[in-house]
Amino acid sequence: GSDSDSDNSLVTDRELQDAFSRGLLKPGLNVVLEGPKKAVNDVNGLKQCLAEFKRDLEWVERLDMTLGPVPAISGSEVPTSQNKAQRAVNPEDDFQREISFYRQAQAAVLAVLPRLHQLKIPTKRPTDYFAEMAKSDQQMQKIRQKLQTKQAAMEKSEKAKQLRALRKYGKKVQTEVLQKRQQEKAHMMNAIKKYQKGFSDKLDFIEGDQKPISRDKKAGAKGQQVKKRLGVLGCWSALHSAKRRYKNQKFGFGGKKKGLKWNTRESYDDVSSFRAKTAHGRGLKRPGKRGSNVSEQGAQKRPGKRTREKMRNRT
Amino acid sequence: MPGLQMSGALPRRKWRRKRETVSQAPFARGINFRTRHLMQDLRTLMPHSKADTKMDRKDKLFVINEVCEMKNCNKCIYFEAKKKQDLYMWLSNSPHGPSAKFLVQNIHTLAELKMTGNCLKGSRPLLSFDPVFDELPHYALLKELLIQIFSTPRYHPKSQPFVDHVFTFTILDNRIWFRNFQIIEEDAALIEIGPRFVLNLIKIFQGSFGGPTLYENPHYQSPNMHRRIIRSISAAKYKEKQQVKEVQKVRKKEPKTLVPHDPTADVFVTPAEEKPIEIQWVKPEPKVDLKARKKRIYKRQRKIKQKMDSGKTK
Repeated sequence: GSDSDSDNSLVTDRELQDAFSRGLLKPGLNVVLEGPKKAVNDVNGLKQCLAEFKRDLEWVERLDMTLGPVPAISGSEVPTSQNKAQRAVNPEDDFQREISFYRQAQAAVLAVLPRLHQLKIPTKRPTDYFAEMAKSDQQMQKIRQKLQTKQAAMEKSEKAKQLRALRKYGKKVQTEVLQKRQQEKAHMMNAIKKYQKGFSDKLDFIEGDQKPISRDKKAGAKGQQVKKRLGVLGCWSALHSAKRRYKNQKFGFGGKKKGLKWNTRESYDDVSSFRAKTAHGRGLKRPGKRGSNVSEQGAQKRPGKRTREKMRNRT
Repeated sequence: MPGLQMSGALPRRKWRRKRETVSQAPFARGINFRTRHLMQDLRTLMPHSKADTKMDRKDKLFVINEVCEMKNCNKCIYFEAKKKQDLYMWLSNSPHGPSAKFLVQNIHTLAELKMTGNCLKGSRPLLSFDPVFDELPHYALLKELLIQIFSTPRYHPKSQPFVDHVFTFTILDNRIWFRNFQIIEEDAALIEIGPRFVLNLIKIFQGSFGGPTLYENPHYQSPNMHRRIIRSISAAKYKEKQQVKEVQKVRKKEPKTLVPHDPTADVFVTPAEEKPIEIQWVKPEPKVDLKARKKRIYKRQRKIKQKMDSGKTK
């Protein structure tokens, strides 16, 4: 609603009648409004007063500087009208305001320091000059502690955040890698099975599957990747390594393994597990198991009884 | 310490501060802790100052001039607290010079932990002013007053010869903002020391604590007025709601005009079909209220459980 001052007691009836006759009064409730309050601004008086009490001290005594703030680094040479608009700092914006104060102080300091140096006024306190400070050491200690705790808290929260993110990401990556490995393994095993069972006599799967299990480009690309990864090593280990072959035979697929006949003609004729060195008692590479003296330095061991008799009979 | 000669311009300028409180009245003091700390901080920063005791409210302000002369000071900073809420500050040039009254707001003292800088006690400050101070005559007067008050005279016995901090006075939003920074590096890296406050000019007088008014701040709004306006806004809202309610009440009570029956309104009205009368001979099945059933079951369970628990504890 509108607050109206009802000070109509000040205006007499006579005056009202006059105003009415002149047509100044309009219908409705007429109230006497005060005009806008005139603030006293005695410019001449101010100037005179200033002139009176102003003291012309040396600048050294006063150390004052009137300067605008240092312009922002990002701003280049701008015309003065724009400068003024830029300088209109929003007083509600705390950060902007404080930054403008800071820059004003900086400008003053930068302007004054050379003058001070000229006048030989020191600005730096020498390191051995101990004097009372405006804030006690206790206070500064408190401040330092607070800053430290703040910093520590911030770091902690940062670390926690990072850990969380890492864990998430790590989990994702782990599952992906495991899945990929699983897929590749399954793929490879299928192909090997097929080869072993004789369904395909080509060793193409090592080079990369030409007959795609799923007929899109991705699988083909994956086959290439598998080929690259397995490469020579995969090929070798699948076919030539004795260990691989043995293990395949023992644990691989393709028929009954245990409970087979052993003393058959084939097994008797099979001398593949004959090692000459082991049979003649040489070639053991395990140290310390051959007794205390290590006198066998590449030389042969003393031959057995039969061998000695043979040698004697020969000569 | 070098340069301890007493030059001619020496201890002519000393300042003094006072505070005001009702010393005799039984109710609480007018000054709160923040103001007290602010005064202490200003004393720390200005080695050329002398403190004075509280003044009785009964005495008029010109008494301060006499006290100033007794203490051989020629400037005065006088703090006045009203209603335990508002702090007013007078800056004056004691014998004949001008004086200014301010409302002080947004006080932060030296002891606040966010102000991390530190300076020598009694080192001379550098004063930095906004260029706006040179543009208007009343600001020019204030600038001169502030310079004369806040700058430490050279070779003052309690001062340190180094210049390691800077006071900034800026004009923003028709107020004077005060900040105190420590100069760390020669390349003007600064940290805030504190204290900080905002001065809202009320009036400038030609004499010290009195005399004709030279300038009155048109943007100044007394804190009472400010609070009153805020309260009246919320009160106005409430009043408006009440008014609307009343109007509605009145309207309801008004006799409603009777509109005569219009025969043409019934033209298209068709009565509903007659339904056959049904008589229920059998009692309808009771509706199963699932919620009530659940509640009953739950309650029973609870009772049983309670009995068992009490039995266990026994």
